Amino acid sequence: MSRFERLSTDGGQLDGSGIDPASEVPVRTDIDATMEIHAKSIVTNEQVILYQNSKTLTKFTALLGQWLREKEDLLMRDLFSSSVSYINATGGLNGDQPSNLSLNDVNNIENILLGNDARSMLTNLEATLKFATGGVRDAFIALANTNICADLQKVQGVLLKAAYPTQEGIRPEEYCSISRFRFFVSSKGAKTPGISMKGNTVYTIPMYGLEAAAKIEQNNYTAVIGYRPPWVVSSVAQNSQLYAKFAIARAITNQNWISGLNVTTFQPS
Amino acid sequence: MAFTILTGDSFTSAGIGVKIPLPSSADYFETINTTQMGLTGTVCVRGEWYGPKFGVGASAVNDGIRWRKAGSSAILIDKFTTSTASDGFTYVTTSPVVEAQSASAITAITNANPAVVAQTNTYSNGDVLQFYNTTGMLQIAGMNFQISSASGSGYTLLGLPATVSNGFAAAGTAGFTRRISSFNAVEPGFLYITNISQAIQAVVSTSVDPSSHYAVGMKIHLSVPYSFGMTQMNQLTGKILAVNAVSATANIGAYNLTIDIDSSAFTAFAFPLSTSSPTVSLFAALAPAGASTQVDPVTGVVTGYDFQKQPFRTGQFVPYMYLGGGAASPAGAALDIIDWKAYKFEK
Repeated sequence: MSRFERLSTDGGQLDGSGIDPASEVPVRTDIDATMEIHAKSIVTNEQVILYQNSKTLTKFTALLGQWLREKEDLLMRDLFSSSVSYINATGGLNGDQPSNLSLNDVNNIENILLGNDARSMLTNLEATLKFATGGVRDAFIALANTNICADLQKVQGVLLKAAYPTQEGIRPEEYCSISRFRFFVSSKGAKTPGISMKGNTVYTIPMYGLEAAAKIEQNNYTAVIGYRPPWVVSSVAQNSQLYAKFAIARAITNQNWISGLNVTTFQPS
Repeated sequence: MAFTILTGDSFTSAGIGVKIPLPSSADYFETINTTQMGLTGTVCVRGEWYGPKFGVGASAVNDGIRWRKAGSSAILIDKFTTSTASDGFTYVTTSPVVEAQSASAITAITNANPAVVAQTNTYSNGDVLQFYNTTGMLQIAGMNFQISSASGSGYTLLGLPATVSNGFAAAGTAGFTRRISSFNAVEPGFLYITNISQAIQAVVSTSVDPSSHYAVGMKIHLSVPYSFGMTQMNQLTGKILAVNAVSATANIGAYNLTIDIDSSAFTAFAFPLSTSSPTVSLFAALAPAGASTQVDPVTGVVTGYDFQKQPFRTGQFVPYMYLGGGAASPAGAALDIIDWKAYKFEK
């Protein structure tokens, strides 16, 4: 992937002298990523095949399908946690470094993204005439581990999902909205045990705008699921095999539009 | 219940820990010290690791079965954690990772360039350690550093110019470390910044050796919180002009990148004081921002592209087996020839 950086806005006014302004050489940034293949297989013994072949293979196919997308999510999580600079939260009151999450920390990241001309990911949700609900501004995305949910609820100004003006199109994994960020949580969210100032678990929260990162798929290699019969897998034709594989390349496409926080939890976890 | 050798190989030991990638995972792992097998030293000649599928018989972290000699040809069989304890096998399944092991206590960190750490340890040169609870130097608590000149009583942090003018008013008096994987889950990864010089071509010091992660021509994006002084550098992107080209001096560490940003008129970079933690904003870091590839049409030479370092890719393959180094450990002493085999069974 390549991107031409914006041109300088310095100068450019013609003063009537007839002298042309100096031309500018465009600067290109190349973003490269390696296409990598991941695979998983399940071996089934003939004693299962003889009695419950179709049910078992159907179930195993579904399991492999689930693995495909879970693995893909984890690979993107690893990209975010490895290749982005994070800032420690300091506005919380748990006395650790990083601290638990606070509104000031979230606003600091908003300042960074807005200062770098990042564009929000999600459109606004217009306020409606429903008690205890409020409008949600157009927002950037924040991804967090489920272990910080208790802290999310305590952040000043938090709008829990139930208080959104509509629930249509809201994903189950969304938890709340704070400032200009909508938080999505997962038990698989990034965390590193034992590395805070006090030796507690640190949770990494990537926070980003539109087109900050990319997941590139390869044609006809997004989700390959196959079956190898017993006479291929086993010398005595007793084991068959189901497999799944996919190709993926991942990249941070613009560091200006992604940032994030390291946090600990108010109660050590 | 098939039980097969998945993979195997040999290596000549450098007397330090060795990581062996096992992309297909393993249920059983074995090392043979072929050099010491027929000798009578006090050494480990064979190591065995049993995976979780062995249930209650599975090996603990940094442990395993040790076949050793104690100055005769007789074989003694025990665990790596028993008498004359030594590092054994550690099977690591996720990355980035704090490798499963006990925290190790620091007794002192000098405030000098480079900083020197006093600590009874079994680390090896090149290991990357996570530091925390560093009393007297809380401004580095949570950072990781690559170590060198390792001995059983300490090591040097070439990436930490811990001078007074770089914000380190006093030496560290306590703290803890854990070894982490040398590479992030995805490379190129972010690196911690330990100093930025004021120069026409700024020199950015890093806590680990950047030559393993970055190359000339790559671009980096810098995040410098206000607490580090050089606020003008925050959120800028620069191109790497040289890697480790500047010798350690004053506040510049031995691990450094020279970039095309003119910082000569910027305010000075310095760590916040230890006493400012935990409320001060941390850390200064850099992250990969692509590259600026150029082709000379006359010579056909491409600059700014290193296919081994530039593309986003898997960094640390997992699972991997970490073999402890040293005469009584599976990776052996310097110049020992070690055979290793990884097995897997299906049940």
